[in-house]
Amino acid sequence: MSNRIYNVLFHTHTVSGLVISVALYVIFFAGSISFFRDDIIAWERNRPIVAHSQMNADFDQILDTLAMRYGELRGRTINIRQSHQERNVIINISSTQDTSASENARRSVYTYLDTRTYEESSYYSGYTLGEFIYRLHFFAQIPYPYGYLFSGFVAFFFLFAIVTGLIVHWKKMVSNFYLFRPWARLKTVWTDAHTALGLIGLPFQFIFSVTGAVLIIGTTIMLGPASSLIYDKDRDLMYRELLDQPPAPAFANHPVDFDLSLNELVNESQAAWGDVVLSRLCIQNFGDENMNILVEVRPQTKSALLGLGRATFDWSGSLTAQTSDESVNYIVGADQLMRRLHFGDFGGYGLKIIYFVFGIITCFVILSGVLLWVEARDKRSTAPWKRTANQWVASIFMAISLSMYPAMALLFSIVRLAHDPGSPTPHVFIYKVFFTSWLILSVCFAAWRNNYLTNKYCLFLGSIFGMAIPIVNGLVTGNWMWDTYNEEQLQIFVVDAFWLITSLIALLVFFRLKKVQPSNGQESETRIEGRKLAGARMF
Amino acid sequence: MPANKKHLTKSFHQRFAKITAGFFGGYLVTVSLFMALSLWCDRAGTMVTLIFGGFILWAGLMVSAFLFKNGWLAWLLYLALTVAFSAVFYFNQYTATV
Repeated sequence: MSNRIYNVLFHTHTVSGLVISVALYVIFFAGSISFFRDDIIAWERNRPIVAHSQMNADFDQILDTLAMRYGELRGRTINIRQSHQERNVIINISSTQDTSASENARRSVYTYLDTRTYEESSYYSGYTLGEFIYRLHFFAQIPYPYGYLFSGFVAFFFLFAIVTGLIVHWKKMVSNFYLFRPWARLKTVWTDAHTALGLIGLPFQFIFSVTGAVLIIGTTIMLGPASSLIYDKDRDLMYRELLDQPPAPAFANHPVDFDLSLNELVNESQAAWGDVVLSRLCIQNFGDENMNILVEVRPQTKSALLGLGRATFDWSGSLTAQTSDESVNYIVGADQLMRRLHFGDFGGYGLKIIYFVFGIITCFVILSGVLLWVEARDKRSTAPWKRTANQWVASIFMAISLSMYPAMALLFSIVRLAHDPGSPTPHVFIYKVFFTSWLILSVCFAAWRNNYLTNKYCLFLGSIFGMAIPIVNGLVTGNWMWDTYNEEQLQIFVVDAFWLITSLIALLVFFRLKKVQPSNGQESETRIEGRKLAGARMF
Repeated sequence: MPANKKHLTKSFHQRFAKITAGFFGGYLVTVSLFMALSLWCDRAGTMVTLIFGGFILWAGLMVSAFLFKNGWLAWLLYLALTVAFSAVFYFNQYTATV
C-alpha cells in the first residue's frame, strides 16, 4: 500500500467515523439493551412468558371473538402472527371479497389481541419500554422515513469505516494487538484500546453493520430500482417472491360450511414436525370453496438455526402441501439468517450476554475513536482556537453518549413507579421522561467540559439508578428477585439481575477511578486521570 | 498521527468528485450489476443477494473511489460500468418479453 493510499484511507476513516460517532453510539447502546427487549416487555407488563413458547393460543376462540367484533369472516383473509415472544398476537383481517357482505365486514382490521384475556390493544396503547428502547436503536421516533433512512445510512457508513479502518490497520494488525501502553501518553492509550478492541470486535461489528443496513434500508434503498423495473411496482408480487410465499388462491364465491377446529389442524401439523414453534397462521378466503389454511412453523433454535415448515390445508381439512421444517431454500435462508444474526436469538441467554458485551465494546471503540481524534490534534502546532473547538466537540460527544446510561436506568424506575397502565398514549410519557432527562444530563455534562468527570459521574448516576430498579420493582409489584428466581419467572428476574450486575460493575469502576499524580510537569492533570480511566474501563 | 495532509486531496471539486462517485456512482454500479445478473441467475435469489451483498459491494466501491488520483476518472469508470450493466439489462429484459 502506497503512502498516499494509506493517508487517504486514514482520513476517510477519521471523517466517516467522527461524523457518525454519536448516532452510532446511540444505536449500539440502545441496541445492546434491546437484546433483552422481550424480557423488558415481560418485566414491564409483569407477565412472565414460558420459555421456548410461541403463539400459545386458542385459535378457534380467537376466530369466534374476531367474528363477533368485526363482522362475518367469510371471504376474508386472516393472518395471525407474533413478532416476538409475548402474550399478544398480531392479527390482520382483510376486507371481504364477498360483495354482498355487511358494512362491517368490508373494513380491514389490524389489531393486537391478548391470547389469555382476549383484550385488544392498538399499537400505541400496547406501547412498552422495551418497544421504546428497541425503536430508539433505529431512530423510529424521528418521523418515517427519515429516522429509518438516517439509521440505515449510519449503519452503511459504519461498514465503510470498518473497511477503511481494517485497511489502515492491516500491516500492524498482529504487532499492535499485543501493544498496550497505559502509562505512556493519553493518545497511545486510546489508540491501543481502539485498535485492539476494534480488532476483537471486528466480526461482530461487520455482522451488525451489514445486517443493520439490510434490515432497515435493504428493501427501500437496494430494491428501489428493481421494484419498479423488474416487478413493475407490484409490491405484492415482489414480497411474495422474495419471501417465497405461494400465491393466494382466487376467491370462488362458493360458500362452504367450515366447521373444523383450527387448533386441531395446528396441533396435527406441529406433531408431524416435532420440535417446532408456530410462526404464522394464515387463513385465506375464509368460508369459501377456495379456502386455504397455511400453518407455518420454524424449528426450535436448539435443533436448527434456520428453517421454515409450511403445511397447507383446504377447507375440508385435507393436507394439500407440506414442506419439511428444516428445509430451507436460499431465499428464505438468507432472510432468516440476517434476522437471526442481528437479533441474536438463537443461543439463549448465554449468547445474548456475549452479544451485549460486544455491543458495549463497540460503544467503547466509538468513544475511544473520538478521544483519539482529539488527543492526536491536541498539540502545539495546532491553532489554539482549533484545540478549544476540538475539546468542545469531544466533551459534547462524550456527554451525549455517556449520559444515555443514567437516563436509561432512570427511565426504568420511573416507568415502574409512575406509569399508568390504562393510558392510551404511554409512549408520550416515556418520551418525556427519557428525552428530558437525557437532554438535561447531556447539557450539564457538556458544559462541565471534563471528560474524566463526565465518565465518572455518568457511571455513578447510572449505577445508583440501576441499583434502584430491582428495589423499585420489588416494592411496587412485590416481585423481589428471590421470588422471581424461585418461581422461575425468568424474564422478570433477568431484567432485575441485569441492572443489578451492571450497576455493581459500574459502581466498582467508579470507586476504582483514582487520581494519579502527574509524573512529569508537561502533562495536565486530567490527562493522567484519563490514563487510569482507560485502564479501568477496559474490564 | 492524523493523516499526513500532503497526501490528501486539496481541491474541493476533486473531493466532491470522489465522494459523489463513491456514494452515488457506487450505488448505481451495484444495483445495475445485480439487475443485469438477475436475467441469468435465479431472479429472487439475485435480489435477495443484492439486499445484503449490495451493501458490501457498495462499500467496496466507495473505498475504491478514493484510490483514484482524479475523482472524475472514478465517476467516468462507474458511469461506464452502470451504462454497460443497464444496457445488458434493458436489451435483454425487453427482447425476452417480446
